[in-house]
Amino acid sequence: MTPDRLDATFSALADRTRRAILARLAKGEASVMDLAEPFAMSQPAISKHLKVLERAGLITRGRDAQRRPCRLKAAPLRDANEWIERYRQFWEASFDALDDVLEELNKTERRKAKRTQENKP
Amino acid sequence: MNKLKLLPGAPNEIIMERTFDAPRRLVLKAMTTPELIKRWLGGVRATVVIAELDLRVGGRYRNVFRLPNGHEFTFSGVYREIADDRLVHTERFDDHPAESVVTITFTETAGKTTVHMVIAFESQEVRDMVFGTGMADGAGESYDKLDEVLAGM
Repeated sequence: MTPDRLDATFSALADRTRRAILARLAKGEASVMDLAEPFAMSQPAISKHLKVLERAGLITRGRDAQRRPCRLKAAPLRDANEWIERYRQFWEASFDALDDVLEELNKTERRKAKRTQENKP
Repeated sequence: MNKLKLLPGAPNEIIMERTFDAPRRLVLKAMTTPELIKRWLGGVRATVVIAELDLRVGGRYRNVFRLPNGHEFTFSGVYREIADDRLVHTERFDDHPAESVVTITFTETAGKTTVHMVIAFESQEVRDMVFGTGMADGAGESYDKLDEVLAGM
């Protein structure tokens, strides 16, 4: 993904209405009319939001001249699962290293405890 | 051997759990002391070059990571709750607009501590966009390159 496209994606996501539109489309395709109703917005206002989402590559629109149904683009979602796995790997590697740090902290504590014990009259 | 588990959660969340052979007090110390954070966070792949934190409610933290190819990325946020058995903070990857709330609970049983981490985004869409586009472009690319380097070793 190019940096320009990435900027477009994130500015598209910065708007609450557009995120709600994406959430609605995650359940299935919808026309501008379908979308205008629950959001209590005019169709031109919804169309404006849809243009932004389309430019950002987050949705596609059907060819049907009348309805032009909107669909969520599946590719970013598939990538997301891959990325959750990478995130998990990041934490797995971190926590494996944390085991070593904790083992050392445990040893230091035990040494201190022993010394305190020995120093008791 | 203690293993990291990915647990099922709400669609906007990611839940992970891991048990450590140490009391809660030490796990919390290792996770909130900058000199110690630098020694484990990122594992063998990423080096923490900056670890800053102001451990109080409303205080900020910032961890800057560097990969072997020189690429840097940052996780930062604000502490919302601080207790002996619970830590809540926000998390932002680089300067992306989507922020998550991370809730960590520490449960100690017979000298071992189970760390339960919930990373919650505003919605599944936001979660998937952060993971699908944001990270893929930054750290992701770097990890891909790193994978290639490691595979060739």
